[in-house]
Amino acid sequence: MSLDAELHVARRYLVGIRRRTHVATVTLFSLIGLGFGVFALVVTLALLDGFQTGIRSQIATYGVHAEVRPASGRRLLDPDGLVSLLHAALPEVEIVEVVRGTCLVGSDTDAVPASVIGRSDTDRVTVDRILARRIGAGAGDNVEVISARQRLTPMGPLPVRIRTTIAKVAVPEPGMESGAVVLPLDRAQRLLWGEPVVEAVELRDPADPWSLGRRARAALADSGVPVTVAGLDELHRPLLTALALEKVMIFLAVGLMLVVAALNLLCNVAMVAAEKRTDLAVMAGLGFTPRSLRRLFLILGVAIGLVGSVAGAVLGSGLAIVLDRTEALELPTGVFMVAAVPFKVDPGTLVLVVGVSLVLALVASWLPARMVARREPAEGLRYE
Amino acid sequence: MSESGAMVRASGLTKSYGAGPTRLVVLEGLELEVATGEMLAVVGPSGVGKSTLLHLIGLLDRPDGGSIEIDGTATDGLDGAQRAGLRNRAMGFVFQHHHLLAELDALDNVALPLRIGGAGRRDARRRAIELLDAVGLGDRRHHFPDQLSGGEQQRVSVARSLAMKPALLLADEPTGNLDRDNAERLFELVAELHLKAGLTSIIVTHNEEMARRCDRIFRLAPRAVLSDNVRTV
Repeated sequence: MSLDAELHVARRYLVGIRRRTHVATVTLFSLIGLGFGVFALVVTLALLDGFQTGIRSQIATYGVHAEVRPASGRRLLDPDGLVSLLHAALPEVEIVEVVRGTCLVGSDTDAVPASVIGRSDTDRVTVDRILARRIGAGAGDNVEVISARQRLTPMGPLPVRIRTTIAKVAVPEPGMESGAVVLPLDRAQRLLWGEPVVEAVELRDPADPWSLGRRARAALADSGVPVTVAGLDELHRPLLTALALEKVMIFLAVGLMLVVAALNLLCNVAMVAAEKRTDLAVMAGLGFTPRSLRRLFLILGVAIGLVGSVAGAVLGSGLAIVLDRTEALELPTGVFMVAAVPFKVDPGTLVLVVGVSLVLALVASWLPARMVARREPAEGLRYE
Repeated sequence: MSESGAMVRASGLTKSYGAGPTRLVVLEGLELEVATGEMLAVVGPSGVGKSTLLHLIGLLDRPDGGSIEIDGTATDGLDGAQRAGLRNRAMGFVFQHHHLLAELDALDNVALPLRIGGAGRRDARRRAIELLDAVGLGDRRHHFPDQLSGGEQQRVSVARSLAMKPALLLADEPTGNLDRDNAERLFELVAELHLKAGLTSIIVTHNEEMARRCDRIFRLAPRAVLSDNVRTV
């Protein structure tokens, strides 16, 4: 038997349901239940996606997008060759050689441990605001940076130190380490190594930051240079894993609403099965097989699920888009990096939510459908 | 058609409901043979098992014991789908309460068995229109059951029962809910279609007068067949 007759009867049942007030009412509540579950899930995940997109955007805006490090040891063996190779392969990418270490940074009044970063893209000394506050110095003040490395002098071994003038006090970029002093590369090399060592090469490509790691790996793949490349995903793995886990947990928690809605749908379909007991017996008499009756109820359940889910998804994504565009939910300035609660509707998430809702509707219809299919037709006619 | 000429052969048919001390035996060891082309009336007091017998012959229920052959086909070993297929192809049902589907208009109700049988929408509707014309309801085909009178509903039900050109018509008190005039008209219709379509018909009825107009009367009494009276029309 084709599916044609079952679809025809299911369609007439759903259209004709308006004529039966109590069935229409419970069906409506099933629709609302599933629709509300999908609506809540879509809005919640859009909110989460909005915030997470903001965080990913911050990562991509301020930080380094990829980093090339030695495969073993702390120093790159041929940094000049490596930089030339990268320049040739990725001409659009910003390339910065760096060294990093820890020193004491002191002013006339105090000295504190601080991170020292030597960068090839700067020729002045920058201290971040936190460090500047700790040592009580500002732009134009002289500071002394004292390394853990020692050199021999007539007076014995003494730590290597440089005196320099702070050119700028900067606000630490989001995600960057705080309490740091940034020096020109050659001065940092002298301080930390005593020779022109490069520990890593940082890459930035604001036009396409997330693929830079992969592109750099591809560029260096056949070069034989003993390095490893970390892209944004690797550089921020703990944070990105936490964000992904957060999304899964929220999906599961709010998704429980869908389970409750599916149970409500089960009750409704079971009620229709009881209400239509005689009709089903007559249809069996006319030639509907048990399998056809089961399919008829699965179609009914899935149709209710589909209408509810799509309605919930449309309303949820619509609300999220409106709230995002109008920036209706404002956030306190100075606390958050954004002025209003951000929402982002991800089509993949939308499809996933509707898909899960439909699967639940299918499962919820299965039980009454199976019950209907197992019944002998005469049972529905006996007590008419 | 079976070689013996019997459209229906029920042998040792037993059916009971419930279990334990409340078990009610309705049919026990019933033997019945209905010849092809015969119009059989089944009569008996309420609760004697007339409808049960019709349900068993119509493969709407399974007997506790005994066997049923329809047109030479043993039905004991058939699964649910095979029984449904046989019902669709070989049998037409008319119930006391018309049992039309409330959500379908007259045309769709009559076309439903055809669509279940795999006919296309257009073919099914064409055949349904023919049948509704045959029962005098061609102009009411787009009316829903609640827009038809009791007699009209039952005529639609008769048209539906003949949609698949069945060999066997099973009618369970088809005139039970109709007034005298409508009952008479419906019986005439069934008798006429029985002859025209070359049907074998089994009609359960309380109406003795109508029963006498059938080829044969099969009387059921509680747990026993009292008589088997053949009447020539």
